[in-house]
Amino acid sequence: MSGPLQDWKSQKKPFAAVATAPVFWLALFFIAPMTIVWLYSFGQNAGPADINISGTLDNYKRATEWLYLSIFLKSLAVAALTTLICLIVGFPVAMAITFAAPKWRPWLLLGIMLPFWTNLLIRTYALMALMGTNGYMNKGLGGLWEGASWLRTLVGMQPLDAWTPVQLLYNNFAVVLGLVYVHLPFMVLPLYSALDRLDKSLIEASLDLGAGHFKTFMQVVVPLAAPGIVAGVMITLIPALGAYLTPDLMGGTDSQMIANVIERQFKRANDWPFGAALSFLLIYAMFILIALQSMRSNRVKERGDV
Amino acid sequence: MFNRTAVAPLEYTRKLWMRSWVGLTMLFLYAPLIVLMIFSFNDSKRNVMWKGFTLKYYEKALNNDSLVEAMVNSLTIAFLATIVSLVIGALAAVMLWRFRFPFKGLVEGTMSLPIIVPEICLGVAFLIFFAKVDWPTDLPWPLNLSAITIAHITFCFPFVAMVVRARLASFNKEEEEAAKDLGATEWQAFRDVLLPHIKPALVAGALLAFTLSLDDFVITFFTSGPDTITFPVKVYSMVRFSVTPEVNAASTILIILTVALTFIALKYQGVKGISDTH
Amino acid sequence: MDFKTFLNAGSNRRAMLKGMGVAAVGFSLTGALAGCGEKEAAKLANGEEAKLNFYNWDTYIGETTLEDYKDSSGVDVNMTLFASNDELFAKLRAGNQGYDVIVPSNDFVERMAAADMLVPLDKSQIPNFKNVAPDYQDVPYDPARRYSMPYTWLALGIGYRKSKVKSVPDSWKVLLDSDEYKGRIAVLSEAGDMFRLYGKYMGKSVNGLTDADLKMIEAMMIKQKPNIKSFHEDNGQDLLLKGEVDIVLEYNGDIAQAMVEDPDIGFVIPKEGSQLNSDNLCIPKGAPHPKNAHAFINYLLDAEAGKKITETILYPTPNDAAKALMPDDYKNNQVIFPPADVLAKCEYAKFDPELQPKYEKAFTRVRAA
Repeated sequence: MSGPLQDWKSQKKPFAAVATAPVFWLALFFIAPMTIVWLYSFGQNAGPADINISGTLDNYKRATEWLYLSIFLKSLAVAALTTLICLIVGFPVAMAITFAAPKWRPWLLLGIMLPFWTNLLIRTYALMALMGTNGYMNKGLGGLWEGASWLRTLVGMQPLDAWTPVQLLYNNFAVVLGLVYVHLPFMVLPLYSALDRLDKSLIEASLDLGAGHFKTFMQVVVPLAAPGIVAGVMITLIPALGAYLTPDLMGGTDSQMIANVIERQFKRANDWPFGAALSFLLIYAMFILIALQSMRSNRVKERGDV
Repeated sequence: MFNRTAVAPLEYTRKLWMRSWVGLTMLFLYAPLIVLMIFSFNDSKRNVMWKGFTLKYYEKALNNDSLVEAMVNSLTIAFLATIVSLVIGALAAVMLWRFRFPFKGLVEGTMSLPIIVPEICLGVAFLIFFAKVDWPTDLPWPLNLSAITIAHITFCFPFVAMVVRARLASFNKEEEEAAKDLGATEWQAFRDVLLPHIKPALVAGALLAFTLSLDDFVITFFTSGPDTITFPVKVYSMVRFSVTPEVNAASTILIILTVALTFIALKYQGVKGISDTH
Repeated sequence: MDFKTFLNAGSNRRAMLKGMGVAAVGFSLTGALAGCGEKEAAKLANGEEAKLNFYNWDTYIGETTLEDYKDSSGVDVNMTLFASNDELFAKLRAGNQGYDVIVPSNDFVERMAAADMLVPLDKSQIPNFKNVAPDYQDVPYDPARRYSMPYTWLALGIGYRKSKVKSVPDSWKVLLDSDEYKGRIAVLSEAGDMFRLYGKYMGKSVNGLTDADLKMIEAMMIKQKPNIKSFHEDNGQDLLLKGEVDIVLEYNGDIAQAMVEDPDIGFVIPKEGSQLNSDNLCIPKGAPHPKNAHAFINYLLDAEAGKKITETILYPTPNDAAKALMPDDYKNNQVIFPPADVLAKCEYAKFDPELQPKYEKAFTRVRAA
């Protein structure tokens, strides 16, 4: 589809034109600051506000204890669940936008983005107000329960027990819901972007040849939208893994995620070297995964396969 | 409910189940916001129960100079960061998509790092970096927002790059070759063939970048000073105590402002442009 | 939006650039309006500009205090907000970005003084120090008040909903060691405070817990965890008001404010004793306006100004002169000013660099269990 990659040497000027700005920016404003923190991960606290970079590996040793690894695995599970739900909910929405009449499309796109221009903290508190023990969701459910109970008495059955509010907040359910709420548009946008370029005649052809909608969807649409799905999953999974406001506010006593632990090291515990070590372990792991994945896809592209 | 014309097989959006799905999703997304807006009129200091209707918190919010300043700062930073992120992100995407060069895997990996670094780590990194290079802290507005803007651009452009790359994957190189065969220069081919193709991705990327920047709290917290306060940072310290209706009022104002700015932009644009595909 | 048009080719470009120009002008205008404070500030008699950067907690100042100060001294106070001591510390660790007066809690005054981040106060510029109650003029965490002036003080205790509890929960046991109110309990998420209160519950002092103590407490916490609904971050009074929980570990000032909204709420300091806190005014090193900072601190300690602040925030005040001006229902409020015999059993937490990391690590284990 896109053809083989060009060697940079053959087109030096265009390469320089596209490569200088990103590489320069990365080097100066990302690699430089991160290097300082990376150096800290090999250091120790020397007094409340100073760090002595002593080349020690103690922080890393501590960071690989089972306590922290188990928290990391749990965070990964929560983030994966969130991403899956976002994908299932977001794919139809992205399709709806793609196949909508052109005059509605920008409004639908804006409609999805608009809630996310509200401040995250306020939105979370508003969501929590809905989900609280005396919040509207519980009131609504309570109303339904009472209604069902009343119907039962109408038909002569025993009414149901009194309604006790469901605990929708301060547990893992709330954390996942909150994370889905925050990350949904980050899934929808890349999906839309990829679906948009889909050659609709392929879908028509598939339907004409007798495949049902679902089969067409699974065997034609999804593979063609694959790069968008991958982009969406990456953009959702990784920030979800690093989320800390949502689990902090909406979670219960056992909803601690890895980002909360890291945050605590930098703030309450005032242990920047350890926080740095934890962060970097997280980064190394993800970096290796991403690098492997892109090296593999580069090799595929080079071979000219699609 | 009942379609006047028959629904074509591909017109998914007109199908009932699709509409309900999207409708429910929108409800899920908007319900808290509507609650938020309703409660901005609540006449209660702590905003836990509805006590009565009042506009006094809007007055309070608009007269709160630091709150207004924070909103202006946030919008400015988001605007600037989005533009620069778009440029750098698009360039990065093209570079990775088109060329083969030494250490490519490494560069690609590094470019996705700003997304995976925990925000607090990145925030602290910027804090130390700007302190160590003695970044000037008493520049006039808007230059004093430069530290925050630079930080925002750094974590926004990889998102843009990712979205644009997904789109580039479906680009047919032959179109570009054809243009060049017909006599276009490299730049003209880029401008007239490639750019229009990636337009939807640029729009999506810009929306993403704007959102990320407008809402960022952690990194901005560490890079802001006493006179460069942004809206999320201000709100965060306000709601820790209790969510007063003033905060709700301010958020509602910000939403309306952002929507208004978008409408103005679209008016200049032609609404179609935002999702043109050709 | 305009961004993508910036890159777009075609005849639209000129219109877009025009649009962007308008937006840019619009932004600079609003910026100029917002940046009004950046105007050339007049120089005061003490040689500094008429400006002050005050870094404070939210809603921790009187309704008109800053305006009153501007009227009386001509100094424009720019108040920015932070939400927790560790944020304050994390931000100032790498260097002072221009703050003149900050409001850390007692253990952080100790920590920042040890890290050499505070300017020793020049008492000759703070004559209102005489308004401070004798108990607060010399405190264990800042002997002779070298670095700080007291702003408020607080005591931790149990806030509860009267209609939902069987009896007044006057012991830490109800909160920390029993399933009587399973799922209706909220406690602080601050590791240090939690460990210290468990220490109090076991009859020890808040300071000087041993490793054996820590192990025992950790086990108790893990045992109690299923009964706790949430580790809150200082919004316990909201949880209580909303009916999410029925008993909560909170500061007396917060609960006093909640009691104004809902008379069904009560507060008690358990019989085993509790922990005291105090928020203080300090000047960080590198403050651009130290003389203004001293003058402002002096103003906050004034009787009339202190009274206005206390009227708004309703926290216990260490400013005797201000307290004298307050109405009786404030002075005699048992929640705001617990009786002396109860206070005798309360202690300040000492900043302990050895124990603090141990608390944190143990608490992480508790939360992961």
